[in-house]
Amino acid sequence: MARRIIFALLAAILIAVMLSHARSSVPVTAQTQGVYDAIAALDSGAVVMMSFDHEAATIPEVGPLASAIADHCFRRGIRVIGLALFAEGNAAGHELLARRAAAFHRVYGTDWVYLGYRPQYTAAILGMGESIRDVFPADDDGRSLDSLPLTRRVHNYHDVNLIVSIADGSMPTYWVEYAGARYHTRIVAALSAVMVTSYIPYLGSGQLAGIVNGLRGAAEYEQLLNAPGAGARGMAAQSAAHALIALLVIVGNVEAWRLRRRSPKWNRKPS
Amino acid sequence: MAFTTSKPQVESEAIVNWELTITALLTLAIYSFLYGDNPFYRFAEHLLVGLSIGYSLVLTVGSIIMPKVVTPLAHGDFAALVPLLLGGAMFLRLSTRLGRWSQIPMALLIGAGAGASIPAMLQARVLKQMASTISGVGSVDGAIILMGVLATLTYFVFTREQTGLWGKSATVGRYFMMIFFGATFAYTVMSRVALLIGRLEFLLGDWLHTL
Repeated sequence: MARRIIFALLAAILIAVMLSHARSSVPVTAQTQGVYDAIAALDSGAVVMMSFDHEAATIPEVGPLASAIADHCFRRGIRVIGLALFAEGNAAGHELLARRAAAFHRVYGTDWVYLGYRPQYTAAILGMGESIRDVFPADDDGRSLDSLPLTRRVHNYHDVNLIVSIADGSMPTYWVEYAGARYHTRIVAALSAVMVTSYIPYLGSGQLAGIVNGLRGAAEYEQLLNAPGAGARGMAAQSAAHALIALLVIVGNVEAWRLRRRSPKWNRKPS
Repeated sequence: MAFTTSKPQVESEAIVNWELTITALLTLAIYSFLYGDNPFYRFAEHLLVGLSIGYSLVLTVGSIIMPKVVTPLAHGDFAALVPLLLGGAMFLRLSTRLGRWSQIPMALLIGAGAGASIPAMLQARVLKQMASTISGVGSVDGAIILMGVLATLTYFVFTREQTGLWGKSATVGRYFMMIFFGATFAYTVMSRVALLIGRLEFLLGDWLHTL
């Protein structure tokens, strides 16, 4: 019963905050700034590879991140090559890039291309270091890469200026190991918040140029772009939920301590 | 030459509403589990598992089996027979009589996998991280990180009794790990709340138009 009360309370607070249209700004962290700077440093016409390495279930969290990064690229005239190393990320990635490209009037084939999905991520990442065509002979719609103006000039990682892994799992590790360590490609990660603690060490060693994490990361990035979106909309609700959870943890611990004090075992004198 | 994406476009408002309504009802069916197990939740869960497997299967057949095996064979490129036979041999594990033949593709897979991954892992996960840990010691952050690494490593030395100074170091290592677990759990909570906010935004905004 108590479990259901907590769920109801959490839902009620989130709905109330969302309906109130409350907004809260967030300070931009150095790790998000790192991703922004890595893209801002690229010239117009540079090539960014965005890999959708996530499942469908995490789209509400990684979607706003991917949208903000894609917007930054398209706004600056940077070319985007999309692909997916998770089957469920494939359709989501294609749809997201198509939507963001349309918002900036970017043309398929010239400004962006979507390669599709390949299983066996190790082989796919290593293979693209030698030749992207060996791994993806055609784009997601079956057009030869040589028939598209953008991919005609992109052969392997030497022609890619930055890789963005949008992930809810350990895929950025493989990008770092195979594309970063072996082919010296610059990599940034847009992560579900669950994975952040695993990747902060890579940030310290410079193997990742930046990390954008969770809904908060999306809000920070939108702030840097001066274009509030799903991240900014969710921040007030997220903060309210965190405050409620912290309060429940404190109340739960105080109650547990009080019950323990009442128990006979607590009052027993040591022999 | 310019291309437009060939993704299907939504043709009418009515279709959009049906799509949204079905999505919203499935979302509510999944969340109904929070009250208790029920047939609506089980239906939505089975649908998710079935669709997910079906989607992956169709995608794999369309993007791998057809272009990498069927099309080359149809054009007389019989080199595609090699991976086809090796892949097929994997299924021989199901036979007690022919099962040992599956060891050939398995051995190739393990050999190639280890050859590709061990140097890369050693370079990215160990050497570069170790160099970064040592080189950062000049700063306060770097010194704390180095202390945490050394203390945590002492915790995992099982061949020596954890007493005295060694034991104290292991205890400090345990505290560092607890901080890591706490931070990871907090990030997990943050992530799950973000997913809930995403679904609520869909239900309240896209479906009910109240946002």
